[in-house]
Amino acid sequence: MKSLCLAIAGVVFCPAVAHTATDLVLAIGGEPETGFDPMLGWGSYGNPLFQSTLLKRDAALETQPDLATKWVLSDDRLTWTITLRDDVTFSDGTPLTARDVAFTFERAKASPGTHDLTMMDTAHALDATTVQITLARPWITFVETFYSLGIVPAANYGPDYGRNPLGSGPFRLVSWSEGEQLIVEKNPRYYGDAGAFERITFLFTGSDVRLLAAQAGIVDMVAVPAQAADAVPEGFYARAVQSVDNRGLSLPFPPPREVDGRKIGNAVTSDPAIRRAINLWLDRDLITEVALNGHGTPAFSPADGLPWAGATDTIIHDPKAAEALLDQAGWIKGPDGTRQKDGVRAAFPINYPSADPTRQALAEIVAELLRPLGIAATATGGSWDSINRVMHSEPVLFGFGSHSPFELYSLHAAKLGGVGYMNPSYYENQKVEALFTQAQSAPSLEASFPFWAEAAQTYGGQGDNAWAWLVNLDHVYFVDTCLDLGAMQIEPHGHGWPITATLTDWRWTCD
Amino acid sequence: MASAALLSAILIATVALSSWGLGEAGIRADFAARLLQPSAAHLFGTDQMGRDLLARSMHGLALSLQVGALAAGLSVVIALGVTFVSGFGGIADSLARFVTDLMLAMPHLMLLLLLSFMLGGGTAAVIFAVAVSHWPRLARVLRGELLQVQSASFIETSRALGRSRWFTIRHHILPHLLPQAMVGFLLMFPHAILHEAALTFLGFGLEPSRPAIGVMLSDAMRHIGAGRWWLAVFPGAMLLVLVLSFEVLGSSLRRLASPTEART
Repeated sequence: MKSLCLAIAGVVFCPAVAHTATDLVLAIGGEPETGFDPMLGWGSYGNPLFQSTLLKRDAALETQPDLATKWVLSDDRLTWTITLRDDVTFSDGTPLTARDVAFTFERAKASPGTHDLTMMDTAHALDATTVQITLARPWITFVETFYSLGIVPAANYGPDYGRNPLGSGPFRLVSWSEGEQLIVEKNPRYYGDAGAFERITFLFTGSDVRLLAAQAGIVDMVAVPAQAADAVPEGFYARAVQSVDNRGLSLPFPPPREVDGRKIGNAVTSDPAIRRAINLWLDRDLITEVALNGHGTPAFSPADGLPWAGATDTIIHDPKAAEALLDQAGWIKGPDGTRQKDGVRAAFPINYPSADPTRQALAEIVAELLRPLGIAATATGGSWDSINRVMHSEPVLFGFGSHSPFELYSLHAAKLGGVGYMNPSYYENQKVEALFTQAQSAPSLEASFPFWAEAAQTYGGQGDNAWAWLVNLDHVYFVDTCLDLGAMQIEPHGHGWPITATLTDWRWTCD
Repeated sequence: MASAALLSAILIATVALSSWGLGEAGIRADFAARLLQPSAAHLFGTDQMGRDLLARSMHGLALSLQVGALAAGLSVVIALGVTFVSGFGGIADSLARFVTDLMLAMPHLMLLLLLSFMLGGGTAAVIFAVAVSHWPRLARVLRGELLQVQSASFIETSRALGRSRWFTIRHHILPHLLPQAMVGFLLMFPHAILHEAALTFLGFGLEPSRPAIGVMLSDAMRHIGAGRWWLAVFPGAMLLVLVLSFEVLGSSLRRLASPTEART
């Protein structure tokens, strides 16, 4: 045990333990603003630690049972019948029953969380180990909540649950000092393998302090930004985890118009030739190298590498074809090098949140790359408030990435145009809508994959070029040389906490 | 001292004019020349986008000059306005003094951050924040000068001849305040430049896509750990030289405007 303290910027970190076979100290961010309440989004990404879910995914993203032993969808796709394990208790010893599961789903539906429960009608317990959930209409992506919604105890759930989470997961809460650290220990009543570590401390700090903590040797793992990923401290190795944490440029789809007092569409990006030419022109390998120091992969869709992504939804970098396409479409270069058509200048801002250096770099690089093509793009930093005002009529550098095909739906479904950050460019295509309906009506998530993939052929790089996806970020971690993380999942949006998804598989390899 | 002032003036003029001469050098990226160390081709090296750091630093300093000139100019205008109000004496003077003291009582860096944040950042916000937080000291100096001038015999003569208060202020008092205001402007200039760079470095200042020194230093922080020292050293040193040049020039002018005071 070490008793090192790190004092930086007025904050003193004195981790109780580090570098032992049973205790871990991690500085990977991910502190939830609303506490550890699944109703408010806790556990959507990564491991909910304190709660169990009905299903879980292994490192290869294959489905594994957790609380559920059997889950069956009726032939009309409207009723899920789920059978639960009968040996599960919460960490206080009270048994977990179907009533708790039904309560959790009903409660989550009424909460302003991040779970897709709009299609749920009712959830009720048939007996102690059987739950029945009915849907208003076929909606296969509802099954995603089985992986992400942590089950809470009906008898002990209240407004303070987020600060005092009680669950049946592999760990239980020891203490949480907001803005500083979270300490958890193994739940002795957990029904599965809780892994090799008895106690885990999570430090919540900025990325600079995290790096210093690693250099001081008081943490076992830190999440580091791509720009700092080359400076690996002694005693650590860098682990770059593939992700679908993507960054892409929204291209407002319709011609400009006003809807409910809101400006939507764009005279330049509504032209299919412009959207196609941008996608053909951008050298994504170069963008990855410059913006991410090579710690990423080129992105062609919002779900690269996932089973529901269209396997052929890729774009070959072809600058000559891009120029020829614009010439044929009547976009002719003017004296200042910028193309024009029917009095419309091929110019637009690329909006990005100015507090995000990676998106700033991407916006600047894309603007630079588009200039020789004859498109005058201008990187424009701002707050999310200012971006919200223009995001339906001007390109924005967004970031998404999820383990659910619902993301494809939320980015391209016409009826979600302008709802929050969903379908911000007001994309609409009836063929895509029909394929989405077929996908949502599939008998299983696996059976829906071909429909999602087929839709990608229409909205993606081989079709409408609704977006210009740029890069998928590698999530880089500096890991103690004694800590073996094993196989990792392709991580979703959010660098840090998602790595805990496989926490129970981690092992300490030193004496 | 005069030669130092002349050298400073030449340096400042060079920076101001270089931005036009350089054109798009230092602004446009050259991805084939990323993160090159200082060499004969790139005296200050290149940044993460392959932009020449010398040209970019010159653009940054020119931008700082613009922001500094506008912020210091606006600050002087506010200080002169407050002094003008003081000139009416009585309650007007008391009110002007109260406002000046109130502003001086507030930590000006906090005030700067607050104002810039409230205005949403950007060039205009920085200019306004620096101007609004920096006029009180100059206003105090100008009020002292005003009190001295007001007690002068030519002012009494002017009043005895039946001139209005406004006429006296405009024709007899204001001309005596202008040299001090000019010196105040020059001495505030480096202060404004440094604050602009600090605000920008902290993320509350100029837009990140502009070639400002604060942006360059902030970007450099992400590369220091990888040993790319030139990204921070050269823009930082250039900023220092520019600020020192203004200090030298301002001090020289102060001597010219008030030789007795400057000696003490």
